[in-house]
Amino acid sequence: MTTAIEIHGVSKRFGKVQAVDDLSFEVGAGRVTGFLGPNGAGKSTTLRMLLGLVGPDAGGGTFEGKRYEELPHPSAHVGAVLEDASFHPGRSGRNHLRVLAALGRHPAGRVDEVLAEVGLTDAAGRRVKGYSMGMRQRLAIAAALLGDPDVLILDEPTNGLDPPGIRWVRDLLRSQAARGRAVLVSSHLLSEVAQSVDDVVVIAHGKLRGSGPLEQVLGGSDGPVTQVRSAEDERLAGLLRDRGLTVDAAGSGALLVRGAPPELVGSVAAEHSVALVELVAAARSLEEAFFELTEVPA
Amino acid sequence: MSALLSAELLKLRTTRTFAALAGVAVGISLLITVLVGILTEPTQDEVLRDVFANDVSFLFILILAIVGITGEWRHRTITSSLLAAPDRVRFLAAKTLAFAAAGVFLSLLISLSVGAIGLAIMTIRDLPTPELSEWLALVGRSAAVATLLGAFGVCVGALVRNQVVAVVGVLASGFVVEVTLLGLVPDVGRFGPVLALPGGINNIDDDPELLAPGVAALAMLGWITVTYVAGALLLRRRDLD
Repeated sequence: MTTAIEIHGVSKRFGKVQAVDDLSFEVGAGRVTGFLGPNGAGKSTTLRMLLGLVGPDAGGGTFEGKRYEELPHPSAHVGAVLEDASFHPGRSGRNHLRVLAALGRHPAGRVDEVLAEVGLTDAAGRRVKGYSMGMRQRLAIAAALLGDPDVLILDEPTNGLDPPGIRWVRDLLRSQAARGRAVLVSSHLLSEVAQSVDDVVVIAHGKLRGSGPLEQVLGGSDGPVTQVRSAEDERLAGLLRDRGLTVDAAGSGALLVRGAPPELVGSVAAEHSVALVELVAAARSLEEAFFELTEVPA
Repeated sequence: MSALLSAELLKLRTTRTFAALAGVAVGISLLITVLVGILTEPTQDEVLRDVFANDVSFLFILILAIVGITGEWRHRTITSSLLAAPDRVRFLAAKTLAFAAAGVFLSLLISLSVGAIGLAIMTIRDLPTPELSEWLALVGRSAAVATLLGAFGVCVGALVRNQVVAVVGVLASGFVVEVTLLGLVPDVGRFGPVLALPGGINNIDDDPELLAPGVAALAMLGWITVTYVAGALLLRRRDLD
């Protein structure tokens, strides 16, 4: 896998808040990487440091070894959509892109091409203040595509989009990766990106919680999970813990036993004559694994 | 640099702010010219100052420049600008040059409009008109003032990114602080960048309280240099979060 983006030991503090703490990860070319974490986890700050908009206290990010500012033609190499993509309200969508094309030294003809690509041709002459949230998001994506970049960075790109818009973004991510581009997409909602990402980087409180292929990171590393219910749940929990198993309350009086199949839990209960009311294999969802990694209660 | 400058000029052309404020500036200048031309009877010595020196572009280009750069913060368009062109010092330089150029354009537009209307009124009323060389010198000085104030406004906006604070602050420093200093401590007041130095550059009456045009222009360049360097340093350090 060719590494397109490398973040190494990056840290940033805002006053008393450690927004990002010694974060390192890589993003491969031709893959969609989900950058996941709850709100306030440090995702946007990390992306802004990668793009040279925020100065890191330590570490940094590079694109094929070069910092964003060092790239000879940055917007032709990296296209970015940031969470608060903003526009002059009195400028038309087309003129917004014309300005960015001039700044980035892209051919003026690209403006109409990307407008067509994001489905904004008909609205291109209207002033941006009349655009819906979804249209603004499409315009921001058009701006990112202006330079036909090798790397796409999208910060919460589905915010404000309706279901067809979300599907459109998913298809866009996959099509860009299929063309060999590296796509890094941040989201606080796993469900919005789970269908379209190959890899994930999970952070919480500014720290890395896991990175790698989606199933490897969020598929669970603690083996099978069993849900068990008994009239003597406290005694049973103690017996299972004595066997070195992790036991959590699953609500409604049930216990969630991690690292043990139902057969093992059942045999422990039988061995100590504990009557069971329920004994089932519990499937842990990606969402649950994500919440565990990020320490957000499910 | 030319790409950045083209982009900044395109920004100016693609919103209504510049056209609207430029229109108001031209309108005010013409209104003063028409009123003075119709209601007074200037002598040969007075006609250039009274009828033809009504270019208010300096004030409007100063406000436009401040609005232009602080608007990047207000509308958060500075993020997309710096993503496309990450060198912040060059970005500021391009914006400074763009508003200097806009100052020349606006000043020439007003000077030519005022000149044409003033000449027509004076001719119709059979009153004296200024020497062509005197008028051309006036046009040149007005253009120089607008150029310098356009650049200065950008530098001020780079230092004070709140649009209202920057505009009100500059106007207050010009019309209150500078005027007060000129009255109380003229040796200090004549170095004020909003009214005193532009007045010196455009000093038709050889007012002894003001600096000579060349010295005033140099002092104005000094203000621009200092504020540009400070603004660029601040812009480089600022996080766009």
